[in-house]
Amino acid sequence: MTTLTLDAVSRWYGNVVAVNGISMTVGPGVTGLLGPNGAGKTTLIALMAGFLSPSAGTVTLDGEQIWRNTDVYRRVGLVPEREISFGYLTGRQFVLANAELHGLTDPGAATERALEIVEMVDPAGRRIGTYSKGMRQRVKLASALVHDPGVLLLDEPFNGVDPRQRLHLMGLLQRMGAEGRTVLFSSHILEEVEQVARQIEVVVSGRHAASGDFGAIRRLMTDRPVQYVVVSDDDRRLAAALIAEPSVVGVTVRDRGGLDVAVSDLGSFVVRLPLLARGAGVRLVELTPTDESLESVFAYLVSA
Amino acid sequence: MIPINATIARLSFQALFGRRRGLVLMLVPALLIGLAVLIRVLTEQGVGYELVDSVGFTLALPIVALLGASAVLGPEVDDGSIVYLLAKPVSRHVVATSKYVVGWLATLAFGAGPLFVAGMVIDASDPQRALGWLVGGAVAGTTYAALFLGLASVTRHAVVVGLLFVLLWEGLLGGLLRGIRWLDLGAWGTEVASAISSSITAPGTGLTYAVTASAVITLGSVWFAGDRLRSFTMRGDE
Amino acid sequence: MAERGAVESRGVIHDLGYRPYTGPRQGEGAIAWALFVNGFLNAFGIGRSGKSKVLPFLLLALNLLPAVIVVGAMVLIGLPDLPISYAQYASTTQVLLGIFVASQAPVLFSRDLRHGSITLYLARPLRATHYALARWAALLAATLVFLLLPILMLYVGTLLGELDAGTQTEDAATAALLVVLLALTLTGVAGLIASVSVRRGFAVVATIAVLLLGNGIVTAIQGIATEQERPRIGEIAGLFSPYSLYRGAGAALADLDSLTPPTGAGMEAAYYVAFVALAALCLGLLVLRYRKVSGR
Repeated sequence: MTTLTLDAVSRWYGNVVAVNGISMTVGPGVTGLLGPNGAGKTTLIALMAGFLSPSAGTVTLDGEQIWRNTDVYRRVGLVPEREISFGYLTGRQFVLANAELHGLTDPGAATERALEIVEMVDPAGRRIGTYSKGMRQRVKLASALVHDPGVLLLDEPFNGVDPRQRLHLMGLLQRMGAEGRTVLFSSHILEEVEQVARQIEVVVSGRHAASGDFGAIRRLMTDRPVQYVVVSDDDRRLAAALIAEPSVVGVTVRDRGGLDVAVSDLGSFVVRLPLLARGAGVRLVELTPTDESLESVFAYLVSA
Repeated sequence: MIPINATIARLSFQALFGRRRGLVLMLVPALLIGLAVLIRVLTEQGVGYELVDSVGFTLALPIVALLGASAVLGPEVDDGSIVYLLAKPVSRHVVATSKYVVGWLATLAFGAGPLFVAGMVIDASDPQRALGWLVGGAVAGTTYAALFLGLASVTRHAVVVGLLFVLLWEGLLGGLLRGIRWLDLGAWGTEVASAISSSITAPGTGLTYAVTASAVITLGSVWFAGDRLRSFTMRGDE
Repeated sequence: MAERGAVESRGVIHDLGYRPYTGPRQGEGAIAWALFVNGFLNAFGIGRSGKSKVLPFLLLALNLLPAVIVVGAMVLIGLPDLPISYAQYASTTQVLLGIFVASQAPVLFSRDLRHGSITLYLARPLRATHYALARWAALLAATLVFLLLPILMLYVGTLLGELDAGTQTEDAATAALLVVLLALTLTGVAGLIASVSVRRGFAVVATIAVLLLGNGIVTAIQGIATEQERPRIGEIAGLFSPYSLYRGAGAALADLDSLTPPTGAGMEAAYYVAFVALAALCLGLLVLRYRKVSGR
């Protein structure tokens, strides 16, 4: 119902390729667009929001082209990175103006609803020029929500926002996603994406590096050995047994106890480990994967 | 009749007068009329009518049009916050037209209107002459406002380019070469003014040409501005 | 685990060779000089992007064009005298000069204030006063280049055309003095407006409005005064715009065409005083503005 589809989209500026053959589908729920600075995240969001035309490929919302199609904005809410420079308007006036421009039948009520959602009802009477950064972000979000869009695009929404408001914003996005809206936000800060989005799209240097749940992505990266920490009551004996295993690529003894094990074949290792331990008479105390965090996934992808 | 979006017009109006620019906008006609009063008080009727022409029509009118047009479109395009107005189911041509109307009304009120007032102050016995300048100023002002709006949608140096055009092309060269009058917005306005009052000399392009050319430039520039807005792109980290 | 036993004791930071600069540092004068040179070059777009060079050089070229033509005519045809006097030149090209000053003043004054980089400059041992003076001097130098080059070209032209060197030198020197005064006032006005209104486009229009509108109004008043046979009023009006001051002083010193030239020693003196006073006032306000910005 509200699915953004990018089909082999490229965008170049002269000799510089900002987006290179990216295909992705963004559906309902919260999706995080992750990538280092300059990777092309803002370009992608601009393409999805109809503020940039693809040099090649198509960008569609439920099959409808977005570029030069102002009607599509009835279903799309955009929260750009840029600051609002309408400092002479109050928060309420700004959101109300947005509501009126959407042609809503009751702009006043929609404005109040949107302000309530972002918890900006009290300060809404003050001029935007007097707001803090976090308050301005929330007003921007209110203006994007006022017409109840099915798709919400946010460009670096947590930039410069203080921790309390960040938490609030994250909860808000998760709620939106749970309601069935398609929420896409970009970030280069891993913790933010990790906490809010389950589905991530990783963009590196204009290319689509990975897509999906970050645990699943990790498992797909089979050319890299998976790292585990194994703690037992006799590390050396276990190490000797492990190194003989074909699925184990490397064993390192940690000076604080336990072993760092690099495994190339996860499936067989998981089966063999308990047998090995029993055979060597070693009791296993702890088995922890050490690189299934988003950070390590990201680091692998970015350094590739 | 292209519909105009009331919200955009209202926002443009607030942008124009909510800033320092708005004050200067009103200062210019105040200065003109104040001077006219001063001259009338110190001399007799009819003296100094060239104030209306050489200062009001040639200098003040384009400056007011430039200030108006660059205030309704310039700053928002410059810092990209026009995105908020464009991410709406409103035709970009309607956006451009709505902004133009505000700039146009400001030009008429603070550029053309004062010409009539100053003219009447200086010489109340020849209302037709003042009326001529009012209408001529309205025509030229309409075209100036549209042209500057179009420039503002292209480059943020629109102001300087607009000034160069008015001062160099129309001013300096227009005084030297007669042929410029075919491409001189001010000359077209003067042509219309002279059709109303015989006290005003016509540059000699003919009324039909003057009106048609003004209409073409006006409509073309506003359409152009709308077209530029249709292709507005959001820049990321550059 | 907090305790590590005797394995690690205290940490060491090694000197990898970072050394702060301990040599002689140049004083504030050198900073101001560097700022001046940089500002002067920036006024012509040198040291900035290619696009920013277009306007100043275009204006400069247009400004020099008549001088080139005159020199060419002098040498090839052999005119008996300059068709346009040294002092008259600046008066004729006043529109170009006005646009140059109006469009380049924001480059030197508005940019740093708008983007906040003024704090970087003032964090150095450079006082706000000296910063303002350095910037002002840079714009002044740029304006002087604009004004003095044609005079120089015409002068060389007359020498090549073998006109009387004595009178030519005298005329050129007088004109040079006049344009220095003009440059002082224009720089002051444009700089002040640019430092107050930090949005570039607005500063440009405001400066043009003040300069050209002011000039237009004064000219109109002078025209009326002449018609009404009360030239005194025109003379007084001429004190209120840099260009009319220039024409008035020029009429007194160099036979410049002016609608209502100042008559009598008192009025002439008033013109010179007004010239200098206007320049000084603008400079003073400019310095005050920067001191206010710097909070000192």
